[in-house]
This record gives sequence, structure tokens and C-alpha cells, in this order.
Amino acid sequence: MTFSVPLVQTRALGLTLNGQSILSNITLDIMEGEYSAIVGPNGGGKSSLLRLILGLQKPTSGTIALFGRPIERFDAWHRIGYVPQNVSHIDTHFPATVEEVVRMGRAVHRPWYALGYGAKEREIVTTAMEQMSITHLMHRRIGELSGGQRQRVLIARALASQPKLLILDEPNTGVDTHSQREFYALLKKLNTQSKMTILFVTHDVGVIADDIKNVICINGALLSCTQPHEMLQCDTVTQLYGVDAHVMHHHHH
Amino acid sequence: MLEMFTYDFMVNAFWAGMIIAVVAATAGSFMVLRRYAMMSDTLAHVALVGVAVGIVAHQSTLWMAVIVSVLAAWLIEYLRYVQKIYSDATMALFLSGSLALAVIIVSLAGSFNSTLFSYLFGNILTVSKDDIITITVVGAVAMGAIVLHFEKLFFVAFDEEVAKTSGIAVGRLNFLLITIVALVVALSLRIVGSLLIGAMMVIPALTAMQYRQSFVRTVLLANLFALLSVLLGLSASYIWAIPSGASIVAAALLFFLLSLLRR
Repeated sequence: MTFSVPLVQTRALGLTLNGQSILSNITLDIMEGEYSAIVGPNGGGKSSLLRLILGLQKPTSGTIALFGRPIERFDAWHRIGYVPQNVSHIDTHFPATVEEVVRMGRAVHRPWYALGYGAKEREIVTTAMEQMSITHLMHRRIGELSGGQRQRVLIARALASQPKLLILDEPNTGVDTHSQREFYALLKKLNTQSKMTILFVTHDVGVIADDIKNVICINGALLSCTQPHEMLQCDTVTQLYGVDAHVMHHHHH
Repeated sequence: MLEMFTYDFMVNAFWAGMIIAVVAATAGSFMVLRRYAMMSDTLAHVALVGVAVGIVAHQSTLWMAVIVSVLAAWLIEYLRYVQKIYSDATMALFLSGSLALAVIIVSLAGSFNSTLFSYLFGNILTVSKDDIITITVVGAVAMGAIVLHFEKLFFVAFDEEVAKTSGIAVGRLNFLLITIVALVVALSLRIVGSLLIGAMMVIPALTAMQYRQSFVRTVLLANLFALLSVLLGLSASYIWAIPSGASIVAAALLFFLLSLLRR
């Protein structure tokens, strides 16, 4: 099913906490099939924007619509896969195997009276693990894995819910450079091959690659919504991070 | 030793103890993982208020304990989840406040006697046939609710925030889990006692976690340790005439120490 309406639409969104303005006047559209990044300095309100979009926090002003429905009446949350910051989030002593964590992605899809997993459910979970190349880890406990592996498990969990929109919060945190490169190649594949809409948040402007179609720059307010090569101009980066910036372009081959 | 099974009160105690072991270990596994281990202890003290009211008003202590602990559980969860008040402080408030209230109620009525003492440490002689029926029915309903919501409870225990963004009704599930814990606590008062039921919910789950298995296996192991603790503890209680709650918890502690040696 193709949506002509934006999957995420915010209008004049504002958030004030304890009298302090965190976000103001954020208006943006995320269309189906887009590969977008929200960038900005730490404390610039990126994660707050994500929390508002995910319904974890209510805005002080403005409106949010998901898949064309106001967020207050939106109930198809299984269409949105959310991957939180991985390393800091996971309790390494939690008794859960990789397979059990990926299966969580199916929890909302199963009828309340279902006790076991049917063949179709198992196939979806297996496919999600295969997509993330973690099938060989399925019986390992989540706490035994490296940062990059854990990140793959959490994405597989999101994929198991078969979402149309995948949202990732600071996916680089605690992951080594090699894993980061693999990770972005994987996101690109999900976007181009599986036609998944992707929105991720990062404070690291260095990871913005040419294959990202839409860069949303936020520092309390929406500074720009643009293409990567336009965003990576000295003036924009200076405005965003408040320091004099010199941008050196490096193209991967 | 097998002669103990010729006595009705021992058969009642074993029957009730095993049902409680299964529900307590299963619900306890979720509570421990949610860092909510103190909740069962708090509710056990709250249930004493129900017992005190039951003694003074000459009503069923079991049902009064059920009603009071379920209402208190909802109030604690409301304060934590809706009002965002620190959960450990809320539990401390209910724990000491309710114990004080229970003692005042029975003291004013001049009933501070061995009846209340048996609810503090458990007494296998106090389990009647009617209690067995109540424990079986309520225990089956509680277990049924946990099994049907197992995957979602697991998801919420692992990551409450992501579970919420997936469309899981986290608030309702929290209320369900805490209601089950309140029921288990109230039902366990006569066997394990209010001072020790908290340990009964926490120790088997903690012991199982030392074996580093999957979540399903951890819950099954917790059930096994809880059942073995009840069998061993009640037998010791019969042989040496010691309070059943203390001997059950001592047996559970023994399994925990053995699990530490294995690491």
C-alpha cells in the first residue's frame, strides 16, 4: 500500500519543559520511501522530537499526524519500528536470548489467545534474523554480544514487526567504526531494496552520507530541511553547532 | 516421614504451597527483572491490615487480605505510573505504614495474639479445605492471565519504552501484573507468612538467573526451585515443628547458595 500522505507530519510543534523551550515551531514531512536523518548538537532537541513522534511525550503546542492520522487517534504502532540507543539501554544480565528478543517484535501481532508460535510467525522472525545476519547468534544471550551485534538484534526485533517506517535513535552510540560502516550499508539496503522509510537521529554530522535524501537540522528549532551536500556547507554546520566549521568532503568508493 | 501425608492439614499445606510456588515464582521472575522486588514485601505488609480487619470484624481474613492488598497495589501503581512518584519511597511508605496500622487495629481490639503471629511467619495448621479451593481457583486465574500475556509482559520487562511504542498497553499490563502479585501475596499469608512471602517471590527467580539461560528456561527453573523449596521446607516444618514460612525460605536460600557455587 502506497501513501500519498506523509508518514510523519508535524505542524508548528513545540515542547516546553519546566518553563524552558526545548523545541519550537517544528514543521516537517517525512514521505514514504525517504531516507532521512535528524542532525543537531547534543541537547538540541533531537531525541525530544523523536519522543514526540513516537507518542512517548505530549507536545506543548502544534500537531503530529502519523500515516495520515492525528497521533491521538493513531493505533497502528506496529507499522513503526523503533530502535533505541543500543548499548546504554540493554541490561546485560537480562536472561534473554537473541531469538527471544527478536520475537518481541511479533508480540503485538499475535491474538491474545495464541499460546505458541505458528510456522508463519517463526518464518518472519527467522527472516528478520537473516536480514541482520544474526541467525548464528540466535541461542546466545543478549548480554554476551558486542555493541554492533546488539544493535543488529534490536533492528531485527524492529524488522520482525514488519514496519513501514523505521526510526533509530543515535544508532552509532557504542559501536566501532567498522560496524558503523556495515550498519549504514544495511540501512541503505533496507531503504532501497525493502522500500522501508528510514528516519534516524544523530549528533555526528560525519556520518551523513550522500545516499541520505533528506537532512533535518535541529537546534531547538528547525534550521533547515535539505539535501546532504547542501547541509554540509560551512555556514549550515556553523549555524547548527555554533562553532566555525570547515567541511572536507570525502567520497566512499 | 511419609506418614505426614496421612494428615489432612499436611496434604492441604503441600497442595496450597505448590500452587503458590508456581504463581509466586512466575510473577516473581517479572518483578525481579523490573527492579520491583520490594513490591511483594510491601504488599505482604499491607495484606496484614486486611488480616487485622478480618480478625477484628470476624470476617474471612483471606478475603480481607485479598481486597486490601489489591486496592493498595493499584494505589501504589497509580502513584508510580501516573503521578510519577518515586516507587521505592512509595513502597517504603506503604510497608511501614500498613504494619503500624495492622498492629494498632488488633491492639485496640485486644486481639494481638497467636493468630496474627501465625500470619507473620506462616503456619501450616491454619490452611483449611475452603482455603485450598480459593487458592486453587485464584491461582489458576492468575497463572492463566500470566500465560496469555507472557510475551507482552516479557517485552515490557525488557524495555518498557519500546514496548509502549510498539502499541503494547504498558499501563494496563503493569496493573495486571501488580494485581496478580497482590493476589499471590494475600493467598500465601497463611503458609509463608507476611514477613517472608517477599523472599518466596524473589529468591527462586534470582536463583534461576544464576544459571544464565533463556527467559523461558529461567522462569521454568524458578518454578522448579520454588516447588523444591516448598517440598523441602514443609517437610522440615513438620519434622522439627518450626514455622513453615521460615523453613520454606531457608530451603530457597539453600538453592540460591548452591547456584552461587556453580558460577
